Amino acid sequence: MGMELEMEMEMEMDIPAPEELEWLESIALLPDEGEEEEEFSMEHDEDAAAIAFDDHEANGDEQNRLQSEVTERSAAEAIQHQTTKKRLWSAENEDSLGGSQKHILDEGRGAKRFALQNEADEDWLRCSPQKDSDTVGGTSVPDVPLPDVVAEETILSRFATDIDGECMPVTSPSGVRVYAKMSIAEIGGGRGKVLASRPERGLLLEPISILSKKAEEEALAKALQDSLGSRDQPTHAIPHMVDEQLWVEKYAPSSFKELLSDERTNREVLLWLKQWDSSVFGSQIRATEDEVLSALRLHSSVVQHRRFIGHRSFSHKNKGPPLSNQYLKTSNFLDGEGMLESWSRKSIFNHPPEQKVLLLCGPPGLGKTTLAHIAAKHCGYHVLEINASDDRSASMIESKVLDVVQMNSVMPHSKPKCLIIDEIDGALGEGKGAVDVILKMISVEKKSIVDKENAANEATPGKNSSRKGHKTTMLCRPVICICNDVYAPALRALRQVAKVHMFVQPTVSRVVNRLKFICEREGLRTNRSALSALAEYTDCDIRSCLNTLQFLNKKKEALNILELGSQVVGRKDMTRSVTDVWKEVFQKRKSKGETKLINGCSEHGAFDFTYSLISNRGEYELTMDGIHENFLRLSYHDPMMRKTVKCLNLLGVSDSVLRYVLRTQQMSLYAYQPPIAIAMGHLIAQVEKPNIEWPRTYHRFRALLAEKKESLKTWISKISPLISRHLLTKSFVEDVVSPLLHILSPPTLRPVALHLLSEREKDDLCQLVDTMVCFSITYRNSKPELPEKTQRYGATTNAVPLSLDPPLHDYVNFKEYQSQHFGLSGAMKQILVHEADKHRILRESTAKNINLYDQRNNGNLALANVSAEATPVMNATSVTSNRGDHKSKVLLGQRQNVAICSSVSVPEGKKFLSRGLNLKAPGASKKSSKDSYSFFDRFRKGSNTNSNVPGEALQEVATIERDSRPLIFKYNEGFTNAVKRPVRIRDLLL
Amino acid sequence: MQIQVKCNCGDGKCPEWAIIELQGVVESQLAISDQINGLEIGHLCCSSLSSSSQLSYIFTVGYHELSGTKVQLKKPLLVLKKKAAVDAAGPEFPASSATELEVIGIIRQKILFKTRPKALISRAQAKKLS
Repeated sequence: MGMELEMEMEMEMDIPAPEELEWLESIALLPDEGEEEEEFSMEHDEDAAAIAFDDHEANGDEQNRLQSEVTERSAAEAIQHQTTKKRLWSAENEDSLGGSQKHILDEGRGAKRFALQNEADEDWLRCSPQKDSDTVGGTSVPDVPLPDVVAEETILSRFATDIDGECMPVTSPSGVRVYAKMSIAEIGGGRGKVLASRPERGLLLEPISILSKKAEEEALAKALQDSLGSRDQPTHAIPHMVDEQLWVEKYAPSSFKELLSDERTNREVLLWLKQWDSSVFGSQIRATEDEVLSALRLHSSVVQHRRFIGHRSFSHKNKGPPLSNQYLKTSNFLDGEGMLESWSRKSIFNHPPEQKVLLLCGPPGLGKTTLAHIAAKHCGYHVLEINASDDRSASMIESKVLDVVQMNSVMPHSKPKCLIIDEIDGALGEGKGAVDVILKMISVEKKSIVDKENAANEATPGKNSSRKGHKTTMLCRPVICICNDVYAPALRALRQVAKVHMFVQPTVSRVVNRLKFICEREGLRTNRSALSALAEYTDCDIRSCLNTLQFLNKKKEALNILELGSQVVGRKDMTRSVTDVWKEVFQKRKSKGETKLINGCSEHGAFDFTYSLISNRGEYELTMDGIHENFLRLSYHDPMMRKTVKCLNLLGVSDSVLRYVLRTQQMSLYAYQPPIAIAMGHLIAQVEKPNIEWPRTYHRFRALLAEKKESLKTWISKISPLISRHLLTKSFVEDVVSPLLHILSPPTLRPVALHLLSEREKDDLCQLVDTMVCFSITYRNSKPELPEKTQRYGATTNAVPLSLDPPLHDYVNFKEYQSQHFGLSGAMKQILVHEADKHRILRESTAKNINLYDQRNNGNLALANVSAEATPVMNATSVTSNRGDHKSKVLLGQRQNVAICSSVSVPEGKKFLSRGLNLKAPGASKKSSKDSYSFFDRFRKGSNTNSNVPGEALQEVATIERDSRPLIFKYNEGFTNAVKRPVRIRDLLL
Repeated sequence: MQIQVKCNCGDGKCPEWAIIELQGVVESQLAISDQINGLEIGHLCCSSLSSSSQLSYIFTVGYHELSGTKVQLKKPLLVLKKKAAVDAAGPEFPASSATELEVIGIIRQKILFKTRPKALISRAQAKKLS
């Protein structure tokens, strides 16, 4: 241990000038001294730190003074301590320790002390900016390489006149020029000394030349930094200087002990990580365990924690543990023991934890990311973070995760990697890629475990090898996911397999303590109450607290307890869920203590808050939908319905604005949405918790509308184009459906058997059937839901209820609206279905037969003649049967004309005859068939009359032509057994 | 068993017949399903348009035009006519068959129409009506 310490101390030595190093080295060569002083130096280390701290906190002014007067005083000190062989800079440090000279022991001890003090010095330099600037004058002295100044008689001064005798100017990189007195004899001696000690350099890791170069560079960098900050007044203290570093980063916990989050969570996370040790590190488990233990023990003591901060934040990583280990020997803590036992118990099992993924969730600013990083580093992992700003496409994530999780790193820092996926819920679509990849790996693992078990059952010795085989696909490195909203839909699957840790807010006092500490460090004057108010306001979001404080510090303002809302800056961009938005609108805020404090501007603040909440959320349509659907459920007092009307008006305005935005893409108009919601909130908000439901109606009805439109479209396409061309889908529902329904279900139709109907009724029926066929409407067994419903009521349904096939009723039905249409009885519907089917079949056959009859009749003139004779007879009968059917009469007249003048129309008469023969159906159907015939005829006639005489002539020619070819050839395609497959032409061209 | 066939014509003077082989069928129009007697099937023309030695034949049936080639049969076929036995020959061959076969012609080649027919559509109107 002692050797190790020495080595480290030597490593620390790289900051001072090379000569000093050499000198130190010569001292360090005495091993027995090093051993013996170990304990002592540790104590001193603490002492020095404590003293330094006290100095710093208590009398900064004194420090300033000391530092600024360093040159004069150092001269005096040097003379004073000549006898103790102290050199200039160490004397100066002694001085700054405030009279601790009496502790001076022998050379080696002094050197160690120096090292520690120097370290403390370094801490001051970095952690406190104003001190930093203060020490400019001082730093220029020890940091500038001054080979000659080191000599005993040397005197430094800012002015050459102060120095007697020979002197040489020395300029620091910052431009500060000092004059050093020269003594030739001493220079020679010093050189000789230096040269003499040179060969004994065996213990250094790096050659001294490199170390010195490094030291120079560092000094240069520091001086440059200082001169940037305080060029104009290098010797004076500047209370507020430019500080580029954010406090949030500057005071971020750098080790496990400093974490601010809940201790329990911290430990569990650490425990989870430690469970990986056996599989990741193998045998290294014991080594790291001590470290963790010590960390935990130290963590429990706040005082030490405080004391050590100064050291730890800058000391090298590998320096911390030995120190704390040292500490453990002298201190007794109880709480570590239990943890140790549990760990050793866990570590018996030689496999990673059951849940391979850790999911940390909680509101921003509680230190989730910090905890993950610290814990992973603490356990010896190399942290690899993927956050929202990285490319998070699924493939990218996959390759990254695979790299991290499966490969052993070949990089020089051969630590195993730990993957931290930050803000995994951030972007839904992209984040899902990561989630999927992880889930896939976990599922693979589960399978492999099952396989492994099987393998183990089969052959126990072969277990090891089989396991190795699986390792390539397994998740064998810890993965930590971090999210804000654990219930984000993207994380649903992950939640089931991951170990979930919810972060709770740290206690306000803890946050305030920390803030107070930082404020003191930074010299910002605050009081506890203001800080606690700030912490409460930000929901213990320490990040925003620190940002605010730094901002205020920069502006040289004090934290004003009354204007917290306007002062807080740098909150993490946070969108609340839409339910929160609705709650905010519908629920009145209870006046808490906090709002009492800012009573004067509470209204204003509330408005601002709600406005930003809604506008941050963005989805205005959804927000307004939710408000629209939920606001009537609130039990607000409104006897005159005024509020309701107002609210509905507001919603109307919002809707029209939204539509306008959608149409014109003027997104700036969205800005008017939140005020509408806020206005509604003012009207109807209640104190009690609203019962908010997710708005579904809009989407439901949209889907329904699309569905109905589709069915209407298909129906209209089924109707023959002659009719459907007059029906517009748009106006159909408004204009046609209701009258059509009246026509389709005439109240005059008696539900009796067909043969019992009177002539008139038969006529009506036939017309109805005709209409139905023309519009291709029929009755069909209604959907299976309805029978079920009736069965539930206990009624046995022998006859399944019939409903209209295109559900015309649905087009005009609204919720809880009873249409006045007459409903036909089930039996009547049955009859209608039957008739309509018959009718349709007849019509189809007619359509087919027309051509056929044409050919045959023309081919066979004799037959045609006979039919021609028959035509007038049939016409006469049809005239008598068609009472008052004007349309058909006209048609018949037409037909007669055509029959007389052209041979083409002859077959029609024949057709009519055959129809008459075909139909042995009851009168109604016969008539209906005639109707259909006339309808069809009208169709044909229309085209015929349009084309007029030339058309007929053409037709005649065509028939003659056709008749000249009584025999036709029909080609047989043939077939092949070859396999057919499509081939692209470009494949053939290649 | 030897079947004797009678050839009245002299050696090498048998009338040559030819087979027309079609890929497909010749059908009557729907209107005249039964009365196909005496109807003209189509026109068969021989054209030697192609420079090759093979003659090409064009056969027009209905509104289709088929083109084919003359193919030599591997084995010639005889066209026979079955006749009732003549009584006069009876006493000479009392035990022989009662029927006799007479050669009418010999088939040595066929005209093969194996390609897809070309449609002959003179007018759009005709097509519409048919």
